[in-house]
Amino acid sequence: MPLPELLSLSDAAQLVKSGDTLGLGGLMMYRRPVAFVKALLQRPNRPTDLTLLCFTAGFESDLLVGAGMVKRVRSCYFGLEAFGLAPMFTEAANAGQISICEETEASLALGFRATMGGVGFMPGFAWLGTDLLRLRPDVKTIQDPYTGETLVAFPALHCDVAVIHAVKADRYGNAILNNNLGVDLELSMIAGTVIVTAEEVVEKITEEVHIPGVRVTAVVHAPGGAAPTSCYPLYPIRGFEVLRYIDACNRHDFVGYLDSFLVSGVI
Amino acid sequence: MVGEPFTPDEQLAVCIAHQVNDGEVVAQGLATPLVAAGYILARLTHAPNLRFASAIGQGVCQDWAPLGVASIESLWLGKAIFHTTFVQAAADVLPCLKAKEFFRPAQVDAAGNFNNIAFGTDYHRPRMRLPGTGGIPDVTTYSDEIYLYVPRHSRVTFVKTLDFVSGLGHSEKRIRGKGVNCLVTDLGQFDWANGRMRLVTYHRGVTVERIQAKTGFDLEIAPDVHETPPPTSEELHLLREIIDPLGVRLLETLGGQARRDHLRAVLEAETPTGKR
Repeated sequence: MPLPELLSLSDAAQLVKSGDTLGLGGLMMYRRPVAFVKALLQRPNRPTDLTLLCFTAGFESDLLVGAGMVKRVRSCYFGLEAFGLAPMFTEAANAGQISICEETEASLALGFRATMGGVGFMPGFAWLGTDLLRLRPDVKTIQDPYTGETLVAFPALHCDVAVIHAVKADRYGNAILNNNLGVDLELSMIAGTVIVTAEEVVEKITEEVHIPGVRVTAVVHAPGGAAPTSCYPLYPIRGFEVLRYIDACNRHDFVGYLDSFLVSGVI
Repeated sequence: MVGEPFTPDEQLAVCIAHQVNDGEVVAQGLATPLVAAGYILARLTHAPNLRFASAIGQGVCQDWAPLGVASIESLWLGKAIFHTTFVQAAADVLPCLKAKEFFRPAQVDAAGNFNNIAFGTDYHRPRMRLPGTGGIPDVTTYSDEIYLYVPRHSRVTFVKTLDFVSGLGHSEKRIRGKGVNCLVTDLGQFDWANGRMRLVTYHRGVTVERIQAKTGFDLEIAPDVHETPPPTSEELHLLREIIDPLGVRLLETLGGQARRDHLRAVLEAETPTGKR
C-alpha cells in the first residue's frame, strides 16, 4: 500500500458511496467517529442505502438512521448505554423501516475472523437452541468433521469502508487508540477502505501502536472528533449533549437537533 | 429486628454480591451498574480475590473504582491489568473462562429462557424493538455460570410465552451448560432446582402472594421459603459511601421521568460546571 493520504473530513467523507457497508469503530459511547459522521451528514449528496456494521451501534449510528441514510444494520447492540434506547433506531425498527441483520458478539467476532483468515465461515457453539438461527436464515449449521457435533458456521463479514477514531495517528497511518479497543483492529484488517480520524496527527509515532498503518487509506486530523462520545483519556462522554439529543427526539424534533448539531462544534 | 431502612436497588446489589464467591472471574456487561455495585461489594467483603472481566475495555481488573456514567472508563480502563480486542474477548476469552455473569432479561419464562430482542412476535414490525442481545445467545448456550436479575418485577417481564428466545434457559434444546442458576428481583430470589422458576426468598415487606400476582405464570415455592437477609449496615455503608456515592445503580431501578432526572443529577455531580 502507498502512504495514506492526509485528507480533510469533507474529502474523506466522499470515500463513502451509496450502498456501501460502513464500519464504524469504537464501542458504546466511547471513541465513536462522530466528526466523520457529521461530515457525511454535511455532504450535499448524502450517501444512502448504507449497511452499518458496528460491534455496538450508538449515537453516531442513530444520526445516520434518523437522516434516512441507512438501509440495514449489523450489530449486537444498538442503544445509548446508560442513556437508554437509541431513539431514531427504535422508531425505525418498530415501523419496519430498517432492516436488521441480527448479530451477537460471537457472530461478529467469528465473522471477522473468517474474513481475516480468508475462509467463508468460522464455527462456534453460540446460538444453538435459541431463536437466532430462525432470525438469521442465511446462517447455516455444520457438522464438526472430527466429533460429529453440530456447530454454527458463522459467515465471513464484508466491509467497504471502516472509520476509526484515534487518540493519535501519524503520516504512515499508524494509530494509538486507548485500551477500549472494541473491534477496531479487526475492522482495519477487513475493510477495503480504512479511514483513521485522530485527535492529533504527527509525522511519525515511535511507540507501539494499536492499528498498524499498513491498510490505512486516509488519515484525517479531527480534534474533538469523538464528542459527544468519549475519547479516553482526553475527554469523557458529553452527557448533557446526549440528553439534548434524546430530548429533541422525544419532542419529534430530530431534524431540529440535526440542524443545530451540524453547525455546532460539539466539543 | 427492624434494622436500617434500605431501598430495592440496595437489596438487589447485596443479593448479587452474595452470589459471588471468592476467587471467581465475574463478567461485567454493558449498562449494568447494579451488577457492578454487587461485584465490587463482594470484592470489598467476602471475595477479596475477585477478578472483573469487563465489556468496557475488554479487560480484566483486580482493582476497582467508584461507579460513574460519563467517566466510567476511568474504572474499567484505568484499573485494568490486561486487554484484548472484543473479537478476542468474544471468540476466545469468554468461551474459555466461562465467567460468571448477570444478565437483565426483558422477558423470562418459567424455564428461565429469556428475550432481549423485541416485544411482539412480528420480528419485522415489533411492538418495541430492544437494543439487542450482546453476547447472550452465545454464552447462555454453554456456560454453567448464568445468573439473571430483574430490577422491576412485573408481568411485563415474567411471561408464559416469550416473543423470542435469545437467552437459553432450562430448555430441552440445551446441549451444553446448565441454564440459569439464580434470579434476583426487587421482590425476591429464585432458583431452578426443579427446572422451573422457584421462589426461594422474599425481600423484607414483600409477600409471596404479591410476587405470584406480579408473575405471569405459576411459581413454584420452595418448602423453606423465607425472608431474604436484609443488607447489613456495613453493606449499606459500602454501597452508599464508597462504591457508588453518585447512585448510578438507581438508573436500573428507576423509570420514566424519575430516571431522566436522576441521570441528569449524576451527570451534574460528575461534570465540572464549566464543561456542561
